[in-house]
Amino acid sequence: MNTSTTVWRRILLAAAAPVAAVLLALVLSSLVLLVVGSDPLDAFGRMVRHALRLETMVDILNRATPLYISGIAAAVGFRMGLFNIGVEGQYLLAAIVAAHVGALVALPAFLHIPFIVLVAMTVGAAYSGFAGVLKVTRGINEVISTIMLNAIAVSGLVAFLINRWQSGGAVTGGVGRVGTEPIPSSGRIPDLNGFVELFTREITQGKRLTGVLVIAVLAGVVFHLLINRTRFGYDLRASGINPIAAQVGGIPPKRMIVMAMIISGAFAGLVGLTEIMHIGFFPANPIQGLGFTGIAVALLGRNRAVGAALAALLFAFLDVSSGVLQFSGAPREIVVIMQGIIILAAVIAYEVARRAREREEARTAAEALEVNETEEVVA
Amino acid sequence: MAAAIELIGITKRFPGVVANDSVNLVVEEGEIHAICGENGAGKSTLMKILYGMIQPDEGVMRVEGQEVRFASPLDAIAAGIGMVHQHFMLADQLTVLENVILGAEPTRSGGRIDFDSAEQEFRRVAEAYGLVVDPDDLVEELEVGERQRVEIIKVLFRGARILILDEPTAVLVPHEVEELFRNMRELKEEGSTLLFIDHKLDEVLAIADTITVLRDGKTVATVKPEEVTAHDLAELMVGSDLPTPEAGESTVRDEIALEVADLTVQDEDEREVVHSVSFQVHKGEVLGIAGVEGNGQAELIEALIGITPAASGRISMDGTDITNLSVRARRELGLGYIPQDRHREGLLLPSPLWENAALGHQTKPPYAKGIWIDRKGARERTEEIVAEFDVRTPGVDTPAHALSGGNQQKLIVGREMVAEPSVLIAGHPTRGIDVGAQAAVWDDIREARRAGMATLLVSADLDELIGLSDRIVVMLRGRLVATLDPKSVTPRELGAHMTGANGGADA
Amino acid sequence: MKKSVRYLAGLLALAMVVAACGDEGEGPGGDDAPHVGLVFDIGGRGDQSFNDAAAAGLDKAVAELGVTKSEASPNDDGSNRAELLQLAADESDIVIAVGFLFEGDAAAVAAENPEVNFAVVDTPMINGETNEPYSDNTAGLVFAEHEGSFLVGAAAALKSETGVIGFIGGVSGMGGLIEKFEAGFVAGARAVNPDIEIVRQYITAAPDFDGFVAPDRGREIALSMYEDNGADIIYHAAGLSGSGLFDAAKEFSEASGSKVWAIGVDSDQYNTAGDEVKDYILTSMLKRVDVAVFEIIKAHIEGNFASGPQEYDLSVDGVGYATSGGFIDDITDTLDDYKAKIVSGEIEVPTTPAP
Repeated sequence: MNTSTTVWRRILLAAAAPVAAVLLALVLSSLVLLVVGSDPLDAFGRMVRHALRLETMVDILNRATPLYISGIAAAVGFRMGLFNIGVEGQYLLAAIVAAHVGALVALPAFLHIPFIVLVAMTVGAAYSGFAGVLKVTRGINEVISTIMLNAIAVSGLVAFLINRWQSGGAVTGGVGRVGTEPIPSSGRIPDLNGFVELFTREITQGKRLTGVLVIAVLAGVVFHLLINRTRFGYDLRASGINPIAAQVGGIPPKRMIVMAMIISGAFAGLVGLTEIMHIGFFPANPIQGLGFTGIAVALLGRNRAVGAALAALLFAFLDVSSGVLQFSGAPREIVVIMQGIIILAAVIAYEVARRAREREEARTAAEALEVNETEEVVA
Repeated sequence: MAAAIELIGITKRFPGVVANDSVNLVVEEGEIHAICGENGAGKSTLMKILYGMIQPDEGVMRVEGQEVRFASPLDAIAAGIGMVHQHFMLADQLTVLENVILGAEPTRSGGRIDFDSAEQEFRRVAEAYGLVVDPDDLVEELEVGERQRVEIIKVLFRGARILILDEPTAVLVPHEVEELFRNMRELKEEGSTLLFIDHKLDEVLAIADTITVLRDGKTVATVKPEEVTAHDLAELMVGSDLPTPEAGESTVRDEIALEVADLTVQDEDEREVVHSVSFQVHKGEVLGIAGVEGNGQAELIEALIGITPAASGRISMDGTDITNLSVRARRELGLGYIPQDRHREGLLLPSPLWENAALGHQTKPPYAKGIWIDRKGARERTEEIVAEFDVRTPGVDTPAHALSGGNQQKLIVGREMVAEPSVLIAGHPTRGIDVGAQAAVWDDIREARRAGMATLLVSADLDELIGLSDRIVVMLRGRLVATLDPKSVTPRELGAHMTGANGGADA
Repeated sequence: MKKSVRYLAGLLALAMVVAACGDEGEGPGGDDAPHVGLVFDIGGRGDQSFNDAAAAGLDKAVAELGVTKSEASPNDDGSNRAELLQLAADESDIVIAVGFLFEGDAAAVAAENPEVNFAVVDTPMINGETNEPYSDNTAGLVFAEHEGSFLVGAAAALKSETGVIGFIGGVSGMGGLIEKFEAGFVAGARAVNPDIEIVRQYITAAPDFDGFVAPDRGREIALSMYEDNGADIIYHAAGLSGSGLFDAAKEFSEASGSKVWAIGVDSDQYNTAGDEVKDYILTSMLKRVDVAVFEIIKAHIEGNFASGPQEYDLSVDGVGYATSGGFIDDITDTLDDYKAKIVSGEIEVPTTPAP
């Protein structure tokens, strides 16, 4: 037994799946591109060249930030075996409340920003926790309840609140800029342009690298520590892997469900910050659908902090590539198709890799046994 | 006239175990034939072979004189064999008639179902055999006994002449059992042959014309009920060649570690499954609970560890009332648990061994430090367990699913033992593991007992019960019906108590 | 752990340095013929509405003015509008964006690209804080929808037999955008018949924009107006949801035996909504996005590009009504009288709905 080769083999097995998924997606997307009459090499070349521009990188990171946080929110649920589809409603509701409340108060920046962040997390947590309470007290499946709560949040609460809290179009003028009262500058997270420009040239085209990126990174670190290093995270993972064994092991199933939903919702509350921090208010036409994309990000990232980060960057890269593809004549749908293909390919590749890994582990474990060990009796 | 069923030398092997070992069986036409045997004796395997669900490795099967080979239950049905499963296979939302014709629908031209002729046929079958049930009732509204009759009609509807009933009384209440037996006799009078599995000896003696006993996959005897007593049958089932794992000298102390008083437990349907059970386990004592599976032991264990609430009664541990405490609180007070089904209740299969070792103990050092999991401490502790309890593994980071069953079990036993519980609940602690691991687990329990641990041992393995226990109580239909001394009790007596064959008198 | 973080930071910095060296914006094409970049609203070509109208205007400009073009539409969640505008600006002389949702992004991107002109459909492109255009290179293409709606409102009142007509709005609360249609429609109808009953309903409220893409809900509301309120003509300003109104008109007419009508919006829906329902479309309120797009490109070429709102009203035929099907041929004289009065200023059409 050579430990280092085993370690390498495990790393290879771990990396093989996502790499295979992306390769498979590349091949299939090339076929699609050929079918619609575009040159795949040219298209991919444009995508990569475009992505290497500093301004595009800013776009990618700005796009990846909410996707990542949304992925983390979904991953908290997934690690516990819960399907929180409600990130969508949770983040929109949290964002509008945070934007409104954030505009009402006057505080120094070092209090104002944490205050807004805290409000967003609290609203998301409360809304999500409600679905958890429904599950443990009324046995309502969280998929059903969060879908319902999404509808209530988006079509009901947010629609109602945006009318009530509307600032009368005086934000920057025009119907496209209607939204809540602007948050004073003390409540806005500054952009990171200055920091990035320390290392490279000036960022042009008026692009601003969102400061929420820092929150996203923190969220990832907190998620990782919480899940992998704390007793709570242990309980959460155990409940997700084997709820019965977890219960026998003293983990209270109902409390864990509510807690997991609350934490998932707290992360979800952060998703909308990117937008409200960028434009300074909650708009009448907020970016929607991030909650659902987050599920794909979590899935592709295997519900791990680093994996979800890579997945969010990949999704952001594809989204941002949509424009160059279109201006080079390829249809926009190709990006959507690629995203779908990548998720499918990932699911397949992960399963193949999981089986390979299990065989590998069973083999090494068998090697550790003495040869003349009595055969196990199957009951 | 040829026998309805004749089996010669049927053998079926599963990896590592011979489920049926050269089984011979003759079922005469028009008789009620009972198959008896302990759990794991091979009854279910034999029934599955007869019904074509699995294929024997060796041996010959004849049905009504014709040699047959069933590739699937369809072949068995074609040969006139029908099976009434223990767990009913009915669609709740359909009516009785719809269930009965499901998969064998009489059709009119154009593929439409001919409900009229179906109902006529249904009534003919039901009346001929005296099976009373309304064809238009929804199955979900039926009682258990009625559902069973639907299953029987279903089988007859398909033209079965030989009926296999898999533990038909297991789900029934006493008056339903009587009704079932009445139906069985009528079926017999109408010329059907019935083969049924049971291990309740009083029932077997009451209904069967012939009884075949299986033990360890072999047919040990075929007897007539008038020739034997329940005691004889029990002895045949259990066998008498018992190697005794010696418990050694008694280490029982005066202090009571676990006390259960008038404990009643209900299942999800609010049926009482444990009735007013009381017992005490002293420090240093192993109390064995004997019983045929399904007599409330599992529910008793669940109530003791706190998964199922007690409907009434009181549980206390080391003098503390734990009746209303959470599982975690009970565990933190020193309640250890070796689950009956390690994959279901004991392990996180994809997780590394050290995380498995922490399960149930994750709130305390060395597994935890404040709110954090102490990964280093947990790994070290797991390495100790691996060394001390001889868990064969490449390392503590190996996932649990990579280990063999015996090593998984040793890990579970190890993690409970190193926590030095004051009370250990062990459910079938050696089930499904190899002989070496079995001996190791026994040694571990004995050692902890010397150190003062109180153990409640639930097992279907009579060797294990007699060998390890200081005292044995027998559980039957949710009640403790006997207290026995393992030093003096014979397996035959024990078996008789377990099956209720001795009328429930205390020994 | 720490080591890997340092690695990651290093990699990121390296990537950005490389990026800094790698690129240089391509800038507008140097050819003689101007290049037009058209950025659609979500959905792109084929929406039988603004996007198609804008595309028609651009196609006409390509044919008649000899410009070259490129096109793109945003992601489904609209998150990359600014990026598309920037990409369009990289290779175009004038960028046209379809839909008011582009306003903020267009203003920002225009500021970064002063050599490129920007025109956004359906917004005045006025900075609310200064009441001035955002910059010299930003124009807004706006329409006097209330004037067009006045005419179809008058048509509805003239044609109604039950004395009850209906209005279905897609999404309320978008700064009064759809309410403007309602205002004109109500005013036009009451100009003809002050006692007419007008049932009005919005499908959703912002920010739930499903109201523009919910034909089933449009159909439900329309059916209820026909059946329960006795309306016989319904006007919609609800985007794709309007097809539900057309279906409802057909369905109710066939079921009840008495013919009811629908009025289309934006484009001539008699021609776009499908053969089965065209006979139920009395007229449509036309918003000539194609005219506006063509005119702004022409102005750009002629050097007459002006910033701020460029209103296309009845006087320049920027709005109007459709006569396809010939159902209102008998009242066009009356409608044209109203039109003349509006153009002359004799009638002033309100932009907020009367109660």
